[in-house]
Amino acid sequence: MTFAERMLKIDRRIIFLVIGLCTLLPLLYPVGLPIKISPEVRGVYDHIESLPEGSVFLLSLDFDPASKPELHPQAISLLRHAFKKNLRVVALTLWVSGTGLADQIITQVAGEMGKESGKDYVFLGWSPGGTAVIINMGQDLYGAFPADYNGKPTKGLPVLQGVANLRDVNYAVSLGAGNPGVEAWYVFGKDKYKFEMGGGCTGVMAPGLYPLLRSGQINGLIGGLRGAAEYETLMGQKGKAIAGMDAQSATHLAIIVLVILCNIFYFSLRKQGKQQGYSGA
Amino acid sequence: MIFLRRQVPLLITLITGLVFAAQYYVPHPASEQMLTSATKWLQIIGGFALVLGVSSLFHVHAVKIRRKEAGWGYSFVLYASMLGTIAVGLWSNGKEAVDGAMTAFGWIYNFMMVPLQGTMFAILALFIASAAYRSFRARSREATVLLIAAVIVMTGRVPLGEYLIPISGDLSQWILNVLNASVRRAILIGVSLGTVALSIKIIFALERSYLGGGKE
Repeated sequence: MTFAERMLKIDRRIIFLVIGLCTLLPLLYPVGLPIKISPEVRGVYDHIESLPEGSVFLLSLDFDPASKPELHPQAISLLRHAFKKNLRVVALTLWVSGTGLADQIITQVAGEMGKESGKDYVFLGWSPGGTAVIINMGQDLYGAFPADYNGKPTKGLPVLQGVANLRDVNYAVSLGAGNPGVEAWYVFGKDKYKFEMGGGCTGVMAPGLYPLLRSGQINGLIGGLRGAAEYETLMGQKGKAIAGMDAQSATHLAIIVLVILCNIFYFSLRKQGKQQGYSGA
Repeated sequence: MIFLRRQVPLLITLITGLVFAAQYYVPHPASEQMLTSATKWLQIIGGFALVLGVSSLFHVHAVKIRRKEAGWGYSFVLYASMLGTIAVGLWSNGKEAVDGAMTAFGWIYNFMMVPLQGTMFAILALFIASAAYRSFRARSREATVLLIAAVIVMTGRVPLGEYLIPISGDLSQWILNVLNASVRRAILIGVSLGTVALSIKIIFALERSYLGGGKE
């Protein structure tokens, strides 16, 4: 067996070890490289920044714990921004397995910023029906969620004063890890009830949402951990996303090096095969 | 019986399909009220679907345990954990925390579900790296284009890549905004037209496979 053949059949545990070290070492010894802000992330930030105090900001946390590393920092930054601007926050989730996580995020940030449930924000929780919940909220918010997550009747809550349905929402952001997520909120929500909308998603989903972004159907997109790190940079608050960017940089570089090496070994094998073929003939 | 099993569902599909397609374009209060009622039904049906899904899962795994099929132990673990979680969930009133204090249900969520799901997702990175090393080869012209685009986007999406090759960030943005968006849009339009065609076929009973192929 030649060296190239041996290298192509390398034990995958060695690759796992390389990736593991590339993730762990930058987390222990951060470098803190500068993060460039993309227009997609700036779109969401600038829109929230332009909203007047008391505007209704809807945040749909459509993800479960599997996507926590990427979407949790996005949610934290968005909520901090909304509370800092004194917006009225209406939060919910369309993913049943994400209810606990969403509640923790909102309670944590609201506590940090000294905001009160029912007065400054409301967490509506989860309701069955997926996309039907969006249409139902568009028709009658109180019909879709008669009570909030803590069982308080939604009708009469100061935070929802003047809000009857999705038409009264000034800006909505869906942080989606799949379906229902950003696309569902656009198709069943924004298109019919005419509110401005932005999105956030995992890194693997981001390329799929670019058509919505380019056509102006969503006015901004926070994609993956990188997007979250950009938002943290805009907010001037170093969080988990910025801390994770060094690890992501190192793992991306490691994968690129592995792909280049694999191709070098592959072409050297092909060359050897051709040479043997010629000498054989 | 055939009338009830075939004609009635087809008639319901035809009427509801046409009515709700037209509803979108009619902003009259009566039309809006009809949509409100229908979506409330949908939410209620969604709740029942959840119960149906859970009971179906219980049934499938009960059969596996009874017949002691290969891997029946996993079914037993599923049964035990599901029943345990349901019992604890009911006991905690479905709340993960009450007045800031974590409930037993919250403990299961935070210390079992969150790390388990996180671990499952995290090991993907290891398998992607291993798969990329083994199969991401420039075997053909198309594979070479894919490889180059992937390397540029991977470089341009991280600060280290932008630091080492400053143009990679702009190149990666261009690939995502122009090449990727245009191709995705074409696929989306194709899929949407296909969905419209299929919906028309279902509404007008040209496509009936959704009714199932039971005895008539």
